[in-house]
Amino acid sequence: MRAKARRWEFTMIKNSNTKLKDGIAGGLIYLSATITVAILIVIIGFVLYKGLPGINLKFLTRMWDDVTTVVDVNRNNVTGNNTEAGYVESLGISIALEDEAVVIKSIDNDSPVKDAVNVKKVPYALKKGDVIGKAGSTNFKNITLEEAKLALNEGTGPIKMKVTRPGGGIVPMLVSTIYIIGLTLIIAAPIGICAAIYLNEYAKPGKTLNIIRFAIQNLAGIPSIIYGLFGMLVFVQGFKMSYSILAGSFTLSIMLLPTIISTTEETLKEVPRTYRESSMGLGATKLQTISKIIIPSALPGILVAIILSIGRIVGESAALIWTAGTIAQIPKTLVGSEAAAATLTTKMYWLIKETADLEQASSIAVVLIVLVIALNILSKFITRRFLKKRTS
Amino acid sequence: MKDETKFSVKDLNLFYGNFQALKNINMELYKGQITAFIGPSGCGKSTFLKTINRMNDLVEGVKITGNITMDGVDIYKDMDAITLRTRVGMVFQQPNPFPMSIYDNVAYGPRIHGVRKKSVLDEIVEKSLKQAAIWEEVKDKLKKSALAVSGGQQQRICIARTLAIEPEVILMDEPTSALDPISTLKIEDLATELKKDYTIIIVTHNMQQAGRISDKTAFFLTGEVIEYGDTEQIFNNPRDKKTEDYITGRFG
Repeated sequence: MRAKARRWEFTMIKNSNTKLKDGIAGGLIYLSATITVAILIVIIGFVLYKGLPGINLKFLTRMWDDVTTVVDVNRNNVTGNNTEAGYVESLGISIALEDEAVVIKSIDNDSPVKDAVNVKKVPYALKKGDVIGKAGSTNFKNITLEEAKLALNEGTGPIKMKVTRPGGGIVPMLVSTIYIIGLTLIIAAPIGICAAIYLNEYAKPGKTLNIIRFAIQNLAGIPSIIYGLFGMLVFVQGFKMSYSILAGSFTLSIMLLPTIISTTEETLKEVPRTYRESSMGLGATKLQTISKIIIPSALPGILVAIILSIGRIVGESAALIWTAGTIAQIPKTLVGSEAAAATLTTKMYWLIKETADLEQASSIAVVLIVLVIALNILSKFITRRFLKKRTS
Repeated sequence: MKDETKFSVKDLNLFYGNFQALKNINMELYKGQITAFIGPSGCGKSTFLKTINRMNDLVEGVKITGNITMDGVDIYKDMDAITLRTRVGMVFQQPNPFPMSIYDNVAYGPRIHGVRKKSVLDEIVEKSLKQAAIWEEVKDKLKKSALAVSGGQQQRICIARTLAIEPEVILMDEPTSALDPISTLKIEDLATELKKDYTIIIVTHNMQQAGRISDKTAFFLTGEVIEYGDTEQIFNNPRDKKTEDYITGRFG
């Protein structure tokens, strides 16, 4: 009787000790999780706080730099029946004063400013938001609305205007990012996928294969700034590409190859061996088996590898700063002076380094975060959808 | 039924690296009959089956000596593996249709050998599925995924897939071991039907199955053929004691 009671007491003490330990452990775990989530919220919150105010339609749709052009506009004498204060009949536009600048507020459908040409006779249609700096011989600095209207309506026939299109937008960076993504994938995807196919389907196990795998694994771990250095030495200077999207894309391709190869290989490994056996058993060649059975089966995984790569390209900064430069322009060529192009990330770097405009940098950061989240959602969606298809 | 030789196997030895999996196999395999290979796990019967359509070529480190001839032609030296495999088809143990529609599965073989016309493919698909005794069950869902049907049906689709390339020989590697008894019987009936037009060699660890459907049986043990002859004789009057022990279940 007594022994039994003692055993029962033992269990009670043991339980309360264990409970305490469990409680502390649980508490620590919850605390760690809370801290992690809190940090994430603080980071995103801070960036949003600084950057959200700067995000508006102008930010998302304009070029970066202000662009000033001299244009010729053929005025017509059609009188509109618009009696607004700022309406200029001969041009079919409405103007207004904003911050002491004369801004085009609206443009009629048949307005001749849509057919404006610059000094090289290239069409340069004026747009809403453009600032008129000079019309004819009248400088529009510190001018009143009435005086501006008079100057614009003065005389007949063509009028020469100096027009400034305000910048402050991220369009060049968005376009450049898309160019770089495209170029990089065109270079890296075929090479990476073929390499993965070789490694998984053709290569004989042995020392050579181990060395190749080791090399790929290590390539994946090299810091991206080293790729930037390499790209600068080899592509920008060595091949004389100067800061260009091609130099950037080549560099990123090299950087992404290990990831593409590894992810594709993982996908290829998941294709059941029995598919290969059945295909060969029917008299197919290895190439037919690969192209008709294995690659189609592996396609979802390859797609995910590509989307992951896109995510990394969007987020890459160090490798691009030293190969594609930080000039915000839409590149017109692949190499040379007109090929330098800043991406969202490299422009952020430039902003922090060269100006003190942390608000603008934060605005770009917000756009970047949204893009990255969108890409993650997309890749999850694709994975889930193809997983369903496979088993249905 | 006169025994007409389809395959002639002479002094066949097979090594996986240093391990000898097949020892001095000598036998004739006959046309238009069902030959069963029986024996305990690891005795080499599947390995031997795979030498007949050169599937062992796909395995690293395999070495083969001796020769196998089909209709008098050496299948290793005088024939290429691709052609051989269009004449000798194989059905595997696990039903493994490709992740495509039933139609595309059966049409896969003809397509990779160059058949493009839809009308011809339609005909081949229908004929093969009928031969595999599964046409009625799937004719209305040819475009559905082959993975969406039961295991027994999948296996018959795999048989149809093999029949579509119009082989002369069908090798079956334990084709019913993953199936339920009813599907098993259906496939056994199928094999018995098919032997009218094809030579069938079936590996099975199910002795009763061998007894039910085969004309000739070969008993394998640790890589050697212990005994080979008419099924009736093997099961009712085995000459070798080891054969008798296996048949009566003393080991297995």
